[in-house]
This record gives sequence, C-alpha cells and structure tokens, in this order.
Amino acid sequence: MGNQVARFLARRSLQALPLLFVISVLVFLLIHAAPGGPLAIYLANPNVRPEDIERLRRALGLDRPLWVQYWSWLTAFARGDWGYSFSDGRPVIARIAERLPATLELAAVSLAGALLVTLPAGVAAGVRRGRWVDRATSALATAGISLPAFWFGLVLQIVFATGLGWLPSSGRSTPGADDFGDHVSHLVLPALVLIVVQAAAWSRYLRGSVIDTLAEPFVAAARARGIPRRQVLVRHVLRNAIGPVLAVVMVDAALLVSGAVVTESVFAWPGIGSLFTEALARRDYTVLMALLMLTSTAIVVLNLVADLAHALVDPRVALT
Amino acid sequence: MRAPLVVLALLIAAAVAAPVIAPYEPDRIDLARLRQAPSAAHWFGTDELGRDVLARVLHGARVSLAVGLLSALVAGVSGIAIGGAAGYRGGAVDNVLMRATDAMLAVPRLPLLMIASSFLQPSVMLLVVLIGLAGWMETARVVRAEFRTLGSRGFVESARALGAGHARLIVRHLLPSAAQAAIVSVTLAVARGILLESALSFFGVGVRPPQASWGNMLYQSQATLATEPWLALAPGIFILITTASVNVAGDRLAGRRR
Amino acid sequence: MEREGVSRALRSALAFGATIIVALSACSRRSAAVPPSNDLLIIGYDREPDTLNRFSTHILEDIQTCIIEGLTTTDEAMRVVPLLAQDVPTIDNRGVKLRADGGMDVIWRLRPDIKWHDGQPFTSADVKFTVDAINSPNYNPESTDGFDRITSVDTPDPLTAVVHYKEIYAPYDIQFIRGTLPKHILEGRDIDRAQDYNRSPLGTGPYRVAEWKAGEYILLERVPHYWRGDDVPRIKKLLFRFVANTNTRINQLKSGEVHVVALVPWDKYREIAAMTTMVVHKTPGNAYEHVTLNERQFPPFADVRIRRALIQAIDRELYVKTILDGLAPVTHGAIQPVSWAYTDQVTKYAFDPGKSRALLDAAGWTPGADGIRAHDGKRLAFTLITQAGFAIRENIAQAIQRQLRDIGVDVKVELHDGTAISALWFEGKFEAMLHWWQMPSDPELTTFFAADRTPPAGRNINYYRNDELTKLLYASDRTVDRAERTRLLQAAQRMLADDVPEIPLYSVTRLDAVPASLQHFKGNPTNTGIFWNVDEWEIR
Repeated sequence: MGNQVARFLARRSLQALPLLFVISVLVFLLIHAAPGGPLAIYLANPNVRPEDIERLRRALGLDRPLWVQYWSWLTAFARGDWGYSFSDGRPVIARIAERLPATLELAAVSLAGALLVTLPAGVAAGVRRGRWVDRATSALATAGISLPAFWFGLVLQIVFATGLGWLPSSGRSTPGADDFGDHVSHLVLPALVLIVVQAAAWSRYLRGSVIDTLAEPFVAAARARGIPRRQVLVRHVLRNAIGPVLAVVMVDAALLVSGAVVTESVFAWPGIGSLFTEALARRDYTVLMALLMLTSTAIVVLNLVADLAHALVDPRVALT
Repeated sequence: MRAPLVVLALLIAAAVAAPVIAPYEPDRIDLARLRQAPSAAHWFGTDELGRDVLARVLHGARVSLAVGLLSALVAGVSGIAIGGAAGYRGGAVDNVLMRATDAMLAVPRLPLLMIASSFLQPSVMLLVVLIGLAGWMETARVVRAEFRTLGSRGFVESARALGAGHARLIVRHLLPSAAQAAIVSVTLAVARGILLESALSFFGVGVRPPQASWGNMLYQSQATLATEPWLALAPGIFILITTASVNVAGDRLAGRRR
Repeated sequence: MEREGVSRALRSALAFGATIIVALSACSRRSAAVPPSNDLLIIGYDREPDTLNRFSTHILEDIQTCIIEGLTTTDEAMRVVPLLAQDVPTIDNRGVKLRADGGMDVIWRLRPDIKWHDGQPFTSADVKFTVDAINSPNYNPESTDGFDRITSVDTPDPLTAVVHYKEIYAPYDIQFIRGTLPKHILEGRDIDRAQDYNRSPLGTGPYRVAEWKAGEYILLERVPHYWRGDDVPRIKKLLFRFVANTNTRINQLKSGEVHVVALVPWDKYREIAAMTTMVVHKTPGNAYEHVTLNERQFPPFADVRIRRALIQAIDRELYVKTILDGLAPVTHGAIQPVSWAYTDQVTKYAFDPGKSRALLDAAGWTPGADGIRAHDGKRLAFTLITQAGFAIRENIAQAIQRQLRDIGVDVKVELHDGTAISALWFEGKFEAMLHWWQMPSDPELTTFFAADRTPPAGRNINYYRNDELTKLLYASDRTVDRAERTRLLQAAQRMLADDVPEIPLYSVTRLDAVPASLQHFKGNPTNTGIFWNVDEWEIR
C-alpha cells in the first residue's frame, strides 16, 4: 500500500506541472481579455492627460506584446519573483501573505464546523428516511441551499450586530481589544454563513449516499451477524457512503481557500477573497495571476487529497 | 411523486402565463408609489421604482426557472458524461478528464462569465449555457467517485466476463446506482444557477434591466433589507419553493430506481 | 438503540453549537460598540488606500489630508485659502507676475516655524524638490498636470519659493494643494518604491500614522506639537476601518461600531437622520450627474432638435423628488452653484413631452408600427450605458428608458463594471452614458467641451463641435483675471445650456453622517474631503 501511495503521489505531481502551466496561460488570457486594464482608474481624474497614461503604460510594461508580458511573468514567477502590485506598488507576495492567514482561518473553522453538522445530520436523515428527523433536516438543507450567501450574511448582521448587539458586524478584530475572545466573536457570523451554505449541500449528498448504502446486502449481513448498530453505521455505512461527500467537500474546500468572495465582502473580512475582488475591479494583473496560481495549486492538491482519502477509507477503490 | 411535480408545473405555467396573469406590466414605473408595503392594490408591494413586485416575480420566473432548470440540465448531462467516462474507463482517460476538471475549477467563474458576457450579446439562452458549463465539475467528480466505488465492487468484472456490453453495464447497472448522487448534484445545481445569476447582477452581466429575475430582485433587495423586507421575501419564497420541489422530486426519483 | 446512535449524535452536535454561540455572546457584549469621544473617533471608510502618498494615489485623499498639508486648500465654500503658505499669491498682492515672454512667475511665501513631524524645518527647498521629483522621469505620480508647465523653481530664502511657469496657468493657486514631498527623506530615492514613506508619510499635519493593518484599518494618532497649537487636534485617535460593502457600513453606523461615514447614499438618508445620536450634513457638491450623448457613435445626437427633445421628455424634477428623496437639486449645466463662476441665467428646459414629440416630428422622425420613431429606415434606438453596482443610478437609467419610450425612442440599458466602463468611454465606444463628473475646484470646462479635446486629448466624450464655444473656453484659460474669467465662463454656460450637448440631471449633494456630539464639522464639496478641518473637531 505504501508503495502504491508513493507511486500515486509521484504520478499526480508529475501531472500537476503541465496542468498548472496550461491553467496559467488560460487565466492570463482571461484576465487580459477583460475590458479595461490597470490604467483605467486613472482615466476618471480629469487632470490625467494622454502623456500621463502613456508614461504609466510604459512604466508598467503594458505596451509590450501579450506573449512577451506572459513570458516575463512566467519566468519571474518560477523564480519566486511575484512582481509588484499595480495598485499600490508593493510586492505581491507581501500583499498576499498579510491576508492569507485570515482566509485560512475562516476556511478551516467553517470546514470543520460544516463537517460537524453534516455528519450527524446527513446520516440521521438517511437512516431515518421519511421520518421527522429527515423532514426537518431536509427542510433546513433546502433553505440553506436556496439562500444566497450575501443575503444570509446581511440578515445575520442585522439581527445579531445591529439589532441585538451581541456580535460585531464585520472585521476580524477590534483595534485595542485584540484578545482571543474578541477574535472568536468576529469569526462567528462569517463562519456561520459558510457553515450553513456548505453543510446544507453536503448533507444532501451524505443523506443520499447513506440511503443507497443502507440498501446494500452487506449491511443487512453485518446486522445479522449481530454487530451493534452504531458500529455498523460508522464502520460500514459511513465508510462506503463517504465517497461523493469527500469529492464535494474537497471542491468546496478549494473554493474556500481561494477566499469566500461574497462572505468576505459582506463581513469586511480581510482575506484573499476581498483582495481578489479588489484586484479584479482594478485589473491588477500581477496580484490576480498570483492569486489564481495559488487557487489552482490548492485545487490540484485538494483533489489529490480527495482521491487519496477515498482510497484509504474504501480500500477497494484503486489509487489512480 | 405527484406533489412536487404539480408544484413545479404550476410554477412553470405561471411563468409562461405571466404576461396574461400579472396584474400590471412588470416595468411600469410609478414614481409616486415607491417602496410601498403590500396592500390590496399591490399584493407584494412595490419596489424602488414603484413597480409591482408580484408582476416582476411572475415575469422573473421565466428567466429564473429557465436559468435554474436548464442550466442544471446542462451541468448534469455534461457532468454525468464526463464523470462517468472518467470513473468507468479509469487510467489515462480518467487522468485527462480529471485534470481538465481541475483546470475548469481553477478558472474563477464570475470573471469568466463577466468576460464572456461582454463579448457576446447576453441573452437567457447564453446565460443558461454559461452557467451550465460553469457548474458541471461538481457533478463530474461526484459521479466519478460513485462509478469508482461501484467499479471496485467486482461485479463489473464479473458482468464483463459474462459478456455484458459497456453500454448495458453503464445504463442498466452503474448509472442507476450513481443516480442518487447525480440527482442530488443536479438538484443543487438548480438553486446554484438561480443564485449565480444573482451574483452576476453585481457585475452587471446578469439579466439586463428592466428585465426582472428572482436573482436580480434579491440582489437589489440587499440595500433595503431592514426597512422593506418584502422586496426580498417575494423572490426568496419563490426560489425556496422551486428548490424544495426539485429536491423532493429528485429524492422520489432516486427512490424509485431501487 | 435506534434513537441512541444517530439522533444522539445529532442532538449533541446541535447542543454543542448552541453552547458555543451563547458563550460567545455572553463574553462579547463589550466588544460591540464604543461611543465617540475625544479619545477615539471611528470612521467607516469605503476602501483601503493604495498608498498614502498624495501624489501617487489614484483614489480620494481623505486620510492623507489629516497627515500632509498643502500650501493652499479649498474650504467649505470651495474658496482657495492658504494653509502652509502665508497667503494666496495674486496679481494684486504682487504674488503673481506676468512675464513679457507669455509666462508667469508665482511667488509663494511660506509660513514660518513649520516643522515636519520628525522635527526638521519645512522650507522652500521642499517645494523645489517636489517640482523636480514630479517632473523627473524616475517617478510616476498619478498626474503631472500643471507641473509640466513649470520650467524652474528658485528658492531665494527658506521661506520663499518662486515658481516659473512657461505659460499662463489659471489654476496655479491649487498647484500645491496636495502638499510637498520632504526633501530630506526622499532625495535621491526611488519614490515609487519608498514604502516607508508611502505607507507612513512624513507630514506637517495634525495627525500621523500609528498603525496600518492591511485589509482592516489605518490608525492615526495626534502629533504632540501641531503648528496651530499644542492643544489641537482635540481628538487623540482616528481609526479608519475599511468596509467596502455599503450595506455593511451603514449597518455599522447603526450598531455604533463606526461613528462617521462620508458620502452616505441618498436612499439611506432617512434611516440615519432618524437616529438621535447622528447628524447627517448636506453639502452641495461640485459633481453633476448627466447623460452624455456621443455624437460620433450615434449621429442623430448631432441634431440639436433631437437633444432638446430628449431633455424635455425626462421629468428631472420628479426623479429628484422621488428617487433622490429631494436630496439633490436639478442642475442645468456643468458648473455647479458652489463655484464662483456659476450663473443660473441660462435656458432651463422643463418637462414637456408634447414639445419633444413636436421637435422629433419636425426633424423627420416618425413613429413606426412598434411605436419607435424612424427616419430614412434608421430607428431612433440607442444604448445607454452606466456603471453597475449603484442602485440609484440603475433606477434613474430605467426611469429614463421608460420616459423616452413614451416619446418613441427605444433605449437599451447596459451595465458595466467600473474599469470596463472607463475603458469604453475613453475610447468613445458608447452611444449614451449615464454618469457623473467630479468637477475640479477650478471651473475649467475646456477639457470637457472644446472641439479639439476629444479623447485621448481630453474629456469631450460628446465629440461636440462648437467653434465659438471652443474659442471662449480657451480664452478663459489664458487669463488669471477673475472678473474676465467669470464673464467668459458665464457666456460659455449660456451657450451650453441652450445647445444641450449633454443632458444634465442633478447636482450631487454630499451626505456625511457624523455623531451629533461632533463640533465644528464643515462639509467640503471638493475632493479634499471632510477632513480638511479635522484639527478643529471636538466631541462634546
């Protein structure tokens, strides 16, 4: 098994490089295809003249042909030089590094929270199919997936922050009162939004999967052998039902790591999601490319983890 | 099975008949009656331009149902095809398809849709295709996971040994077993499609004003959530009903197959 | 056994979650809202600055205004007043000399005893250094406008700077409104990459940067010895929290998490004015919302009858009363009432769709079967673009669309994001656009209406050609005599109001929400922002 895992990792790592290269070309073309460019914001100022724009265009290297710009970006990026942001002239690495922890923190907490809700809820609904537990959780799940995140976030803000005053409405910390309790209180609302939205979807998959697995003959066989129900559920049912859930959890995890754009906006969470939105609006190509390469790497890695986890949990599934 | 289908049919019928049954024109602006609460004259109140919310919800159903249901179909069909092929064939096919899926996941959806819409004339059909093509990845990964689990059970080999053709295997055995997961992902895609259209309104590439859609009505209601909640409730309830019926229908459909 | 396994797990998970939330809420009550005081004032700011360097920044300069002071500034009535200079140089006080070769010299007399925050004296050498730096190819400020007309700067003594312009430059008095770059810190350095200065600039103002937490806030603290007196500013700390989402920002105002929000959207006015702890100040602004009619892209706009028909078909007074809640007045031209050059003795078109129809009939555009007018086979149909994300603007666009349909004009509304729309109008690739111009405090209209100032040379995105007007506008640029400029600009306004190359809608009123306990707040119609007199502020 260890050998298989090693070969699997080697194979997938080898595949990753050309994949990331193709992705980099695709996203580079994509962001340059968007109308406007980093100089567009200058245009709003009537004091900025064509000479100013030309000067800036040359200074930023935007007057070179597209493939030259791409190649120069690629060679620098591979060396570890991620360039300078077009917005504020600071190194891209610095801009991302100062905001990445916030996103990772939110992602980790909401992933854990969503799993904590999904596992019992999905299994309960599947096992007690058609009974009140199933109906209740399904109704909640339906509400969860019908709600847009921005809307739910705003409602939470209005109720808990503006209305009751129990929790802060946005930001990650209160300047001056920067302790653990304060930190946690800022995390609650944005994490809640993400937990609800994700758990709603994941529990649907788990429920369906559990229903299917329960119908399998080996489950009845295990019960017939006298194995306690709790053990059957966890050891046999859950293990087999987890496949599709893992797949979708990893997809969502990758998207979370790249920053939950909407939630970060509503709660002014200083993560890379809001950095992405701002960079996109300003066509800050250097920051965008760096962020997109980060996201792509996260997706590739997490899909690899999903496949590995699936194979580990269900040994009959091959490791490709 | 009947109840959710009846509800859906009613929604679709209402959407189709909107021009006839709506009490007012959806874009009839009445600046003297901005943001009024629900009343006898306007059952769901009026919006920020004095337009009747009920009329807009009915007309909006045409766009949102089309976008939600059809894009989910596009996502579902392409996702099942790709995920199924990857999970069944395995090996190089699986690798290539899954890496393509990774690539599609890496490309951010909103900017992609924003840019595509700026080149091509936005229309409901285009939105359906774009949103559908932006959503097949999850279905593909989920169906592939199912096919691999099933494939590993050994009965695939036995069936092949007994001379079963690929098509028969897939259609009679693998697909029905993967149906549960596939159906869940397609039903999720319905709600996601409607909500993605709402997010697109932020970039101005959702449906164009003055055309109403549940998504853009919801987006516009953010600013007045505390003071005029009915503007959000009306489209929100309809989205909820649609999603609930699709979910229940999907669940019953999956149940039938066993 | 059935109940135990699964339902128990479910219930314990729920209980766990509920416990956490209750525990948190109990210990977090304190963190929610701190009332405004002279110790700390919290401002909800709509974006994070890109840099605090006033010359490099591409966005508004509110925060910078607290730190870096200009030689002059613009006050609440848009008058140019001296700040670090002793007075505003004019011809009368011998501060401005017109040279025989067509150029001019401006003599700046600086206030004595001004020190930078690090104790070094502020002198004319800093003025000279600033001009040289901006004109140097090594530095990329946002704009070199005006500076590129300066040939040299002499510094006969530390408190006098003589600026030599190669031609007459009318807005010389706000040339140094953004302040100066400190020579002793930045000399010989790559200013674009001088992050110590760009993130925490050295200034002479009432505040300096205490902390800039990326993505979250900037904290300013008062300097111990401000030149106006050690007892000012009264407010010890200013915290600028970055909250991009407008709804969140307003919610924070309501929950008391922020105390000040500038540029409150008009549809939020009533909610906030209803709060007893808040006051919303209305300042008539120097920006105006209008519909630009691009004659080059849509030739029928070149016919003045069509333009007059369009403006009379739009009920501007009604929009202002209903959509804008009466908060912004209708405007009839590009120069707003706050400006010294303003005149209201101009043609004012009233809402009269009957006249519009008559004009269109006379111009040969007759209604077709679908109700839309046509002429020689071409339909009177155009696309109106506007920026997405501004609810009021989207509503006005739809209201215009509807009213123009009533006179037989077909308008499609297209929304674009901010950058895309800039690119579109800069290249002239649009037919009509709903947007506003923030006018410069100096009432120069040349860049907007002169026939030779179409993009990229200027902002005449109407592609409007009026030779007589063009002559008037250039003449108004080439004199520093205020009376003469006023006469010329008023004639220009009359011409523009009559000929309507664009459809002016309303004058943008700035709404700023501040605590009721804040004293001496004075709104400011220019981009200088509300912090222009922050040293006078006090919470009582």
